Amino acid sequence: MSARRFINILVLALALASIAMAAQSPADIEHDIGNKVYCLCGCVTSLNTCPHLNCEVKAEMQKIIRADLSQGKTEPEILQDLVDRYGEKVLAAPPPHGFNLTAWILPSVGLLIGLFLAVTFVRRWLRPAVQAAALSGGAPPDESVRAAVEEEMKKYVD
Amino acid sequence: MNQIGAVGLIAALVFAIYGMITGAVAGKLRSPRILKSAQRAVLGFFAMTTLAVVSLEYLILTNDFHSAYVASHSSRELPLLYKIPVLWAGQEGSLLFWTWLLSIYVALAVLLNRKKNRQLMPYIIAICMGVGTFFSLITFAVANPFNQLSLATASGVTPYAPPDGNGLNPTLQFHSMVAHPPMLYLGYVGFAVPFAFAMSALMTRQLGDNWIRVTRRWTMVPWMFLGTGIVLGGQWAYHVLGWGGYWAWDPVENASLLPWLSGTAFLHSVMIQEKRGMLKVWNMVLIIVTFFLSIFGTFLTRSGIISSVHAFAQSNIGSWFSVFLAIIAVFSLTVLFLRLDFLKSENRLDSVISRESGFLFNNWILLAAVLAVLWGTIFPIISKAVENQTVTVGPPFFNKVMVPIGLLLLFLTGAGPLLAWRKTSFQSIKRNFVAPLIFAGIVGVILFFAGVRHLYTWMSLFLCAFVAASIIGEFYKGARTRMKSSKENFFSAVYNLTMRNTRRYGGYIVHFGIVLIFVGLAGQAFRYETQGLMGPGDILRAKNYLFRCESFTSGQRANYQYERVSLAVTDDGHALTVMRPERRFFIAEQQPLSHVALRSDLARDLYVVMAGRDPDSGKAIIHVIINPLVQWVWIGGMVVLLGTILALIPSRIERQMADMHKSHAEAAEAQHVR
Repeated sequence: MSARRFINILVLALALASIAMAAQSPADIEHDIGNKVYCLCGCVTSLNTCPHLNCEVKAEMQKIIRADLSQGKTEPEILQDLVDRYGEKVLAAPPPHGFNLTAWILPSVGLLIGLFLAVTFVRRWLRPAVQAAALSGGAPPDESVRAAVEEEMKKYVD
Repeated sequence: MNQIGAVGLIAALVFAIYGMITGAVAGKLRSPRILKSAQRAVLGFFAMTTLAVVSLEYLILTNDFHSAYVASHSSRELPLLYKIPVLWAGQEGSLLFWTWLLSIYVALAVLLNRKKNRQLMPYIIAICMGVGTFFSLITFAVANPFNQLSLATASGVTPYAPPDGNGLNPTLQFHSMVAHPPMLYLGYVGFAVPFAFAMSALMTRQLGDNWIRVTRRWTMVPWMFLGTGIVLGGQWAYHVLGWGGYWAWDPVENASLLPWLSGTAFLHSVMIQEKRGMLKVWNMVLIIVTFFLSIFGTFLTRSGIISSVHAFAQSNIGSWFSVFLAIIAVFSLTVLFLRLDFLKSENRLDSVISRESGFLFNNWILLAAVLAVLWGTIFPIISKAVENQTVTVGPPFFNKVMVPIGLLLLFLTGAGPLLAWRKTSFQSIKRNFVAPLIFAGIVGVILFFAGVRHLYTWMSLFLCAFVAASIIGEFYKGARTRMKSSKENFFSAVYNLTMRNTRRYGGYIVHFGIVLIFVGLAGQAFRYETQGLMGPGDILRAKNYLFRCESFTSGQRANYQYERVSLAVTDDGHALTVMRPERRFFIAEQQPLSHVALRSDLARDLYVVMAGRDPDSGKAIIHVIINPLVQWVWIGGMVVLLGTILALIPSRIERQMADMHKSHAEAAEAQHVR
């Protein structure tokens, strides 16, 4: 078998494997949807985790999902069907449009601003290195002195 | 007893107000006599809240249904074990309990500082008693647990007692629920003390590192309780709610996580101030944020402003808390602003790659986590206010946002301790990072070929291996040095090393516990569940396990009726165990509840719920979940607890340092008095 042929077969096998891995059974899709929507019985948990025994609301919502699945609807279509029936509050996460976008964006913005501030502080505190050296008694200590200081600090204050 | 409790509550309020005023006056006038009076007020506050708590417990234990609180939350058949937690099961009792725990903390702070920190104590008392005033006031005026039931008759109003109470919410009748709320409350309440120390240090301009050293333990204790409370809450959810999980990013769960995260940032950040005299303003901000979030958490739990599966007690106390939160924010930020000049950094960074920078980035990640959780938790309120739209922010949101943050934090947990103070040379990085990275790499390859392909799960386990290796490496290097110098065997060397510097090695053990928790969390990616209708003889397959329905039984216990199904379980054909999930019906409360059957080992939990009966066939609806690695979450929680306890034990080095600081402080105080 030539190397080229081997690579072709390998690529084909990987593609088939990924398709097989991506294919979900209706039960898997139902389970996924159950994690993405809330049960509206008042339990304040997802459909899959509603703690109420024989919850009628849960049963009704599951019935809708199963009916949609049997009609061959995709996951986004089923979620949209639930939103049409119950409103956006049925979704366990706010859909990323309009004002809801801020819910998704703000944590990332906060993370970036925090990173910017941390980097800014580090740079600012680093700048007067000469002053630090002067305060600590002139020239910066060499590696052996630094290592000794580190060792002492570890002993006493770590 | 009702009257005695009510008097105790009023007296506690009076003592709190008196302590707050005399504490502030003693601080202003520097009067030892007034300080003594304030200290006595603290002890009086403790005695009176204790009286109120004992009175309420007495009413609960004696089934005195004249008490509106007892009639609402207890019943005659409630077992004794669950009568005690009735104290904190309802709004009124829990606020009284909060006040009582505060009184214990403040009394301890006063007793342990009779001869120490005398300049700080007046304002510490004033601030803690200010918090005590707020809680005793709302307990007295808004949510009084000593209200009595009465009937309006033609001859006037007469006392009334129903024959039995409404009972305790069945979901609260679980052993970890006995300990979970007190742990959480000990966490929330306890942050009042380090906050008071910080404010007092600002007000008295005693802004050396003394307040930081003194408050480290006062912060670690509530942090430990809060963490333990969070884990116990997870256990409760896992065992009681019947959905096979332990964390659902519920607003009340989030409320407990927020001060824990900011408290974690504070505990790391104070080390930089202790060692380098840096981040002084930041540490003040962190302790203010932590205390604010702990009150905010109590507010979320108790106000009912956000719907939650855990919000067992709700009433209209939201406006009181809003005002109190505003007072805390304005007061603390004003005091901080006025003292900014005293909080100048004493040192500079020597290098970008240093332990200091590691802590700084750790703080960045922790605060980003706080922001993300807080924002997700309050977003439904904001959306309602801005858009008049009801949205839900649940696990899909938090998992997407928090998993990357958690992984970054996990990386820093391993990398931080490998960085040296001041400056880390390239050689040092190579020396310290190579072995953990090689180990993690080997684990990563094994995981990949074992079928772990989910990116976050793989990364989580890879980082767990890295952090675990770095921690074990630190113990090994330290022990090897001792073995060479002291001729000790390995185990003695590890023990002596740990006890010589409990703070450092206790911290490593805490980190190791966090690693174990992450291992448990990663297991959720391999969760498997199935459901089936089962009558006698029916079989349900879940992976390699077969569940065969053996029998149905039913009966009655003290406060509930039950229906139980026995399932013989085989693993690959070998008999494993018999599991007996139950469906219970609580009589007084008229509520059904499933009782989970669980078989746990270190690899996985078999989690079986009897969800009810199929109305058509009469068969049991059996839900089976195979939950891998869950036990590691609980083990990790215990390791974190042990590590924290170890870090709280004073080490020999610390005792020497404390003596040195004590003599410095005494000299400074003597100079101040002169």
